[in-house]
Amino acid sequence: MDPGDPDEALLARVGEGDPAAVRALVARKLPRLLALAGRMLGDAAEAEDVAQETFVRAWKQARDWRPGVAKFDTWLHRVALNLCYDRLRRRREVATDNPPEQIDEGPAPDRGLQARDVGLRVAAAMRALPDRQREAVSLCHYQELSNIEAAALMGVSVEALESLLSRGRRALRAALSDMVES
Amino acid sequence: MTRERFEDLAEIYGGDIARWPLAERDAAALLLAADPDFAKAALAAPAGLDDLLGAWAPQPVTHQLREAVIASAPRSRARSGVRGWFWRAGLGVGLAGACAAGLVVGVRLSDTVVQQDDTVSAALSGYDDLSEVVVGEGA
Repeated sequence: MDPGDPDEALLARVGEGDPAAVRALVARKLPRLLALAGRMLGDAAEAEDVAQETFVRAWKQARDWRPGVAKFDTWLHRVALNLCYDRLRRRREVATDNPPEQIDEGPAPDRGLQARDVGLRVAAAMRALPDRQREAVSLCHYQELSNIEAAALMGVSVEALESLLSRGRRALRAALSDMVES
Repeated sequence: MTRERFEDLAEIYGGDIARWPLAERDAAALLLAADPDFAKAALAAPAGLDDLLGAWAPQPVTHQLREAVIASAPRSRARSGVRGWFWRAGLGVGLAGACAAGLVVGVRLSDTVVQQDDTVSAALSGYDDLSEVVVGEGA
């Protein structure tokens, strides 16, 4: 059974210029998009820019949205990911001559492993992943998309997605091995 | 489901069977029930990694960002229609007022010009009288 697009009715109201629907859609989607962009880019300000730009495109799309072609949430993720990849590409072009200084985000010996330290270690490990592996882990683990949705978004087969996920998680476990085994 | 497949899925999707692909969950649950020691051992390390990944909290949405995104949304058509009606009505009233003001100023200006014409005519006729006097004195 096709459950349909849970955002369809809300989107129609947004297309009619209903301010309450705009607020509801922002409340529903902005945290997810910001989280995705933050995890893909590892930069809070850039993530906010991506989230804003994604919504600018969403507003243009809302009036002409054709139900049944794609789920709105999937389309939104695709737009955000494209914007993230644009920025990652520009970053690589700029960084070739001047590689950014690597910040050691490991826990200080006297602090122990607090929750924030663990988060920083995870963030650093995620940043170190190849882009496609980071995208696969972000979509499946953090965004909780199904494997079929994530594979479609990334334009790969489910088997290829599983390979990316497996390699990504293995690399993360290796990077965080001192904490995984404790 | 084979043990190998169970281990593969744990490596790929993590230690929570509820997050595995829908089509695999029933078979995985059966294996878990049939061989709990093996299944729990296979899930332990992936579940530990899941816990660590969960420690990376997403950045919070600030009030400023939320309001900026909302402000970028298109305005309500109904509201803009009412606004547009008021704007057009205001423009019409303004134009009508400008026309009326122009008319009043035009009438007053023409009166002034007529009055000025009369004054100039009187002055000129004065010169005529003067010329007659001068001519008369010289003769």
